[in-house]
Amino acid sequence: MTRIWNEAGFVNDDPWVIETEETKAGNNEKPILPLDAFLEKAKAGESGLGVLIKPADNVKELAPYLDRIALAAVSFPAFSDGRSFSHASILRERLGYQGEIRAVGDVLIDPIPLMLRVGINSFAVTNPVALKRLEEGRLPGIDKHYQPTARPSQNPHSYSWRRVS
Amino acid sequence: MYRYDEFDHAFVAGRVAQFRDQVERRLAGEIAEDAFRPLRLMNGVYLQLHAYMLRIAIPYGTLNSRQMRMLAHIARKYDRGYGHFTTRQNIQFNWPRLEDTPDILADLASVEMHSIQTSGNCIRNVTADHFAGAAADEAADPRPYAEILRQWSSVHPEFVFLPRKFKIAVTGADYDRAAIQVHDIGLHLKKNDKGEIGFDVYVGGGQGRTPMVAKKIRDFLPEEDLLSYITAIMRVYNLYGRRDNKFKARIKILVHEMGAERLSAEVEAEFNELKNGELKLPEADVEKIRSYFALPDLPERPEGWANLAAWKKADPEFARWVDQNVKPHKHPDYGMVTISLKPIGGIPGDASDSQMDLIADLAEEYAFDEIRISHEQNVIFPHVALADLEALYRALKPANLSTANNNLITDIIACPGLDYCALANARSIPVAQEISNRFRSHERQAEIGELKIKISGCINACGHHHVGHIGLLGVEKKGAELYQITLGGSADNETSVGEIIGRGFEPEKVTDAVEVVVDTYLGLRLSPQETFLEAYRRVGPQPFKEALYGGASAEAA
Repeated sequence: MTRIWNEAGFVNDDPWVIETEETKAGNNEKPILPLDAFLEKAKAGESGLGVLIKPADNVKELAPYLDRIALAAVSFPAFSDGRSFSHASILRERLGYQGEIRAVGDVLIDPIPLMLRVGINSFAVTNPVALKRLEEGRLPGIDKHYQPTARPSQNPHSYSWRRVS
Repeated sequence: MYRYDEFDHAFVAGRVAQFRDQVERRLAGEIAEDAFRPLRLMNGVYLQLHAYMLRIAIPYGTLNSRQMRMLAHIARKYDRGYGHFTTRQNIQFNWPRLEDTPDILADLASVEMHSIQTSGNCIRNVTADHFAGAAADEAADPRPYAEILRQWSSVHPEFVFLPRKFKIAVTGADYDRAAIQVHDIGLHLKKNDKGEIGFDVYVGGGQGRTPMVAKKIRDFLPEEDLLSYITAIMRVYNLYGRRDNKFKARIKILVHEMGAERLSAEVEAEFNELKNGELKLPEADVEKIRSYFALPDLPERPEGWANLAAWKKADPEFARWVDQNVKPHKHPDYGMVTISLKPIGGIPGDASDSQMDLIADLAEEYAFDEIRISHEQNVIFPHVALADLEALYRALKPANLSTANNNLITDIIACPGLDYCALANARSIPVAQEISNRFRSHERQAEIGELKIKISGCINACGHHHVGHIGLLGVEKKGAELYQITLGGSADNETSVGEIIGRGFEPEKVTDAVEVVVDTYLGLRLSPQETFLEAYRRVGPQPFKEALYGGASAEAA
């Protein structure tokens, strides 16, 4: 079963659904739209929308419509497909998007600390080991970093490129 | 050389703890091998044919005696008493147990070493000219920049799941000894008229099944923009590099398919967004890193000149070693010494624990505690007084470390091949050994002159066969090993990919074929000064084809 996690803990009443042929958003649920569908609705003036950024999408197309987004989901169809790390970085750093960015797809425990650093702040988790570790509050990250990233962090009075969290 | 500060120590300790936890979860069956694989790879742990293999980073090939002694200790305690220095200035241990690897990493951390990102689809160990800081032809020492890149790339969250591995090499010398044009990114440091440092940036070189020479996409990138510009390249590659086929996933394919101009335009656009941000390098930080790499205080030792002449006269073997393995240092009383890991008939790049210990002792005694590993799989002492050469030589000789063959035909690069590697199609080591034995006579090697043989046991080209003057590629055909010969490759300033000369040779015939190539060269060169590579570039493949195959057709195997 998929559960939504963020740094405050698990979220119980999350309304977002990635629509597929079989799954449609029901009552009290909201669809996460493919990029094209999102752009269409946003251009038509709708807001409070969910959008799904797939690895091959160009996240910069969201630039004019940031205020229409309630949830930006970035997709990891396989944990080894790292394109969404760049999508999240660009969304935060370049476009200045402040809202929720959710990792969806093959979300495993070990990459979560890395995802947090590029500005992803919400996680749709299915993997049982990942769920167990998150329940226990055990994230495997390191609190010393050698590069600035989208997530705000302090320079430890050291070389300009270093950060601590 | 660079010394860890508290931050580095804490980071590496954190990484060891993280990996220990991952290994425990793997051994407990909590992580599937599939998900564990990228985690162990990013800590240098491979699964090979017979066992796990651990690849340890030697950043830009520089280490001190304490670190070398630790490598000897690891060889003794956790392995079978030896290690293998690689073409990426790393060392590999071939027989560690998975459950021991966290302890090995903890031992390494105690001497400021690690194995982070020595494998996996991430930014690998940054390599550099092995004569950095000592060479006479150098504009600036590339190692401070390699160190900055090492730090910046360590566990970079955006770039740990790239389409494929990513290799960066840096040189600061006129003559390229770091093979920068066959790397994903090659950086050539230069100094302008005002004394400022900048980088010529090359992108998209590589070997493997589609060898390509890199394209220069930037002249004299200012020093302060180094991290912004490299980030821009990485981001473009991460987003647009192919992921549908691992054989087409390196950045060289992206450069090829997009064209260097379009790629460069994408990189520049990204760079323009990044360049005035947090990644800009402050001069004070560069200066501080640079201070770690200051030339040791080298006392005047002019007595070495006369001594050396006398010693050489008295001992022709010593003279040969000096002539072949010692290169001029920027200080006239000193030399740069190559300690050959290519004994006649030996395994290229292998060193035993006792050899490593001896090298460590001698580095302390004669070489200001500085050791380098070259991508040609030899050990370098970059700073040795001419006055100390004789004593150094005497100490190396009983350990079989005084082979006078640097850049000669027996100074062979070879990958581990089918003796160890799960990817290999053919053996590399026995071929290297047989060629080495065949050409063992020093007189004959000297007559042949500079000739680089490079051997890979599969198309991944870890043995750099594409850029060997003579390259040998092991392939598998109908269940048997076969060796293709390429000629005319080179990885220096005029980088070129060797041409396949014709159908391959069986293992028992390949040494004969190499000998035919060599004899053909000796017969056609204009003078003993014309090297094999120069001669090949002048005459082309035809005379070699005829010598190898006669009139018969020589279609590629």
